Amino acid sequence: MADKLEVKQGTLALMILRTLKVLGPLHGYGIARRIEETSKNRLTLNYGTLYPALLKLEQEGFIKAEWRQSENNRRAKYYALTAAGHKQLAREAREWHKTADLIAAFLAPRREAL
Amino acid sequence: MAQNRGPDRRVSCATAGGPLRHLRAALARIAGLFARYRADDDLRDELQSHLDMETAEYIRRGMPPAAARRRAQLASGGLTQAAESDRAPRGLPWFDSVIADIRYALRALRRSPAFTTAVVITLALGIGANTAIFSVLRGVLLKPLPHRDGDRLIYLRQSTDGPGGANLSFSVPEISDFREHARSLGSIAEYSTWFLTLQGDSDAVRIDVGLVTGNFFEVMGLSPVLGRLTQPSDDGTDVPPVMVLTHEFWLRRFGGDSSIVGRQVRLDGTPVTVIGVVEAAPFFPGRMDALLNIVISKHHSSALMVLDRTHRMTEMVARLAPGATVAEARAEVVTIRTRIQREFKEAYDPGSHYRVAVIPFKEVMGERARPTLWLLMGAAAFVLVISVANVVNLTLMRGVRRGHELVVRAALGAGVLRLRRLLLVENLLLTAIAGSVGVLIAHGGLGLLVSLAARYSPRASEIRLDAPVLGFTIALALIVALLLSFTVPLPKEGTLAGWISAGGRWVGGSPRGRRLQRGLVIAQVAVSVVLLAGAGLLTRTMMQLSGVDTGLTSGDVLTMSVPLVNPARVSAAADAAAKVSYDRMRREIRVLPGVMEVGLGSTMPLRSSTIQIDVRVEGERHAMDQPMPRADFRTASAEYFRAAGISLLGGREFSPADRAGADKVVIVNRTFADWYFPGANPLGRRIAWTGEVLRFTPFSREWRTIVGVVGNTRDGGLDAEPRPVVFMPFAQEFAMFGGLVIRADGDASALATAATRIVHRIAPTAPIENVLTVAQIKDESLAPRRLNAVLISLFGLLSVCIAAVGIAGVLGYSVSARTNEIGIRMSLGADAGRVQRMVLGEGGVLLAIGLALGLIGAYFATGVIRGLLFGVPPHDPATFIGVAVMTAVIGVAACWIPARRAARIDPAIAMRL
Repeated sequence: MADKLEVKQGTLALMILRTLKVLGPLHGYGIARRIEETSKNRLTLNYGTLYPALLKLEQEGFIKAEWRQSENNRRAKYYALTAAGHKQLAREAREWHKTADLIAAFLAPRREAL
Repeated sequence: MAQNRGPDRRVSCATAGGPLRHLRAALARIAGLFARYRADDDLRDELQSHLDMETAEYIRRGMPPAAARRRAQLASGGLTQAAESDRAPRGLPWFDSVIADIRYALRALRRSPAFTTAVVITLALGIGANTAIFSVLRGVLLKPLPHRDGDRLIYLRQSTDGPGGANLSFSVPEISDFREHARSLGSIAEYSTWFLTLQGDSDAVRIDVGLVTGNFFEVMGLSPVLGRLTQPSDDGTDVPPVMVLTHEFWLRRFGGDSSIVGRQVRLDGTPVTVIGVVEAAPFFPGRMDALLNIVISKHHSSALMVLDRTHRMTEMVARLAPGATVAEARAEVVTIRTRIQREFKEAYDPGSHYRVAVIPFKEVMGERARPTLWLLMGAAAFVLVISVANVVNLTLMRGVRRGHELVVRAALGAGVLRLRRLLLVENLLLTAIAGSVGVLIAHGGLGLLVSLAARYSPRASEIRLDAPVLGFTIALALIVALLLSFTVPLPKEGTLAGWISAGGRWVGGSPRGRRLQRGLVIAQVAVSVVLLAGAGLLTRTMMQLSGVDTGLTSGDVLTMSVPLVNPARVSAAADAAAKVSYDRMRREIRVLPGVMEVGLGSTMPLRSSTIQIDVRVEGERHAMDQPMPRADFRTASAEYFRAAGISLLGGREFSPADRAGADKVVIVNRTFADWYFPGANPLGRRIAWTGEVLRFTPFSREWRTIVGVVGNTRDGGLDAEPRPVVFMPFAQEFAMFGGLVIRADGDASALATAATRIVHRIAPTAPIENVLTVAQIKDESLAPRRLNAVLISLFGLLSVCIAAVGIAGVLGYSVSARTNEIGIRMSLGADAGRVQRMVLGEGGVLLAIGLALGLIGAYFATGVIRGLLFGVPPHDPATFIGVAVMTAVIGVAACWIPARRAARIDPAIAMRL
């Protein structure tokens, strides 16, 4: 447990959007599981983090929610990407790549110095 | 069914983007506020389903159900915790706490009803006064004109030096100069103010009309509400006369009857078609009942009128050409005028200094009201400043009592911001209540203010408590609330220790708070002194005015105007018939019981004549660099002077022998004698009317012998210097205008009914106007001044009372805070008198500083109102001393109460505190 990471600020929304894009409509539990699996269990998500993030995305209009029967006949709230959500995902992903490149450039050992 | 849960929280708008996104989130939050309970259920269900799925997962992996459930709960964090942390972004947390603050503030205000009432009353008076005065200021001065593009409308005014030269109007050729040459003036309309008699079925009324060119409404930017307005095809002499009613007259006279359009009415015996009703709008220089094309007046369409450069009877209004500015128009008018005055020397004698001013129409309409209104606005602002100062003081003192509670709140984690907000919410509540009461006060006082404004401005009917005025009130209330909340010192953030060590004495008890309190009291006293000084000067002005010698001997005199002959259509036959009627009226009223004398004359005493005529004195030459000698003309019967009470200073009165055909004689007033015969005896000298204006009067240029000199009367208002007047015998000249002066040996107003009945019987179609006693005429000219003085005095008294309460309150607080110390002093031998003097001294210092500052302020402030004063210098020492004494007396009285209380402190009790 000690090497598990807290979810970095701002990244959770991107993960949720991406998950919904890949898997289609999904309930909160499914999203949490999927994120944990994708991170190879290096991330933990609890309700207190996940559901506020979902609510925020819903209020911003990037995802929409709907109560449905789940595959094993439970009632669950399913989230799905809206059109705005698709665009937002593309935008955030782009920005994230840029940031990641930037940080990588900073952290890379400088050849001149070697 | 389940799908329908909480759909109101969902925002379907699908566009993404910065500000929109925030807006959408904010909307969702607000929606969330109302969907709170439903949303809570929804969330609980969702979390439960999450938990169920997680449990199922563990069971699938082979755990026993109970353990699986426990594991699931642990893995996902506490349910309640999630629900709680999820709630924060959903509703509006600050909104919830503001609701709590409001609830709390209401409770606190209810708990101290005395404080609440004091604050609400003080602020309501301040806000009410400001709202009321602002509504007048806005209606009369600030509001855009109702005319289309009203800010492009320009009024031109021609004036000269010398008596009666303030507004000469223009002649038609003069207007043509501008129409042809001024490129910055896009279009120019002409109008002449006139009056006509409208014959109704059973009565006749004089109506004020404007004789306008066809383009008048186009230039003015006014539209009809009914029918049509005049147009260029109504110009000329071979067109039928048409009449456009003003909105106000249409309602008043015809009850808003829309069938009036197309009907014919009789004006001075001529049938005239009503073609329309114009929208409500102010006219200048005064109210108008109707506007007609010029053909109705033979005189106004005569060759004399159209061709004579000095025949100045027409007003001029213009619309700036597109892109032109007022400054350009001004420059152009000066250029044109300089050239014209060189070209037509005979029309502009150089001594009179003819000039033309270019004034935006909106400004000219407000020019008489402006000084008074800004004065009132300033006074009202002062009252508000004093009220706010008082409330800050009250808040400070209450703060002392609340200190403990606020310290506890601070200790529990409320930051300074949070405490400020609490104060703000409380003060907003107070000012909201006070503002509402203030609007009611303003509403109540509006009638009075409209009647005041109507004396100064044609726009008085536009005064309302409308949205912008209420906006002003709300802004005022907000500012006051902010001031109240942020002038009260709070300890800086992070010094909780300081708070606690200060204990309950954190605000008023601190040196900072005490200094603030004292400063406020000084300011209150100073501002009150300034206001009282203004009030004193205006009151003295009023007293001076009512003490002015009107020139009439005392006694009860009734006057009425009964114009029988239309001055524009004087004919020998009409004149002879009118004279017979006037003489019958005079004789029949003379024998009424209680009547001592009845005189006939063109103009009633204390009323100004509208026309001045140039005068020539036999044997004198008019120097070119002097203003042309002019005089008001009047006619008077032999009995007029005795009936009116005008004293004969020399020579004789008119006699029945001064009739048509006899030698022409005149009586002049004292000013005339002094101006044109300085140091010489005017009796027996001869004068003659002259000049261009004479040509449209029925008077001849013959020499007339001065047979008498009478005293001056204040005809142009009590504050105006008497002008030179020439009286001609009523029987010797045409009976223009015409009215009766009736001297009674008792109550003159009691004669009104009997006298008007006689007049009506003799001349059933003649309008009877201004049936007023001389005392009423005098009163009418005093009324606006009186209202001014009363309003400012009211503001002054209000402020001094509030200031007195302020002093008493601050000293009272100081005494109660020092009870212990005073107890010690007394037990050490200070007697009651000494303690009392100590407290009085403390108040006295504040009072003295305030008084000194106030007198200095008043010295500068009263210079501003110089123009509104009469017979009193702006730095009148008597007024200043009076104000100082009055403030000192009220201030000391206010200090007396807490001083007495201090003196009565029982040291044995005080020491135990």
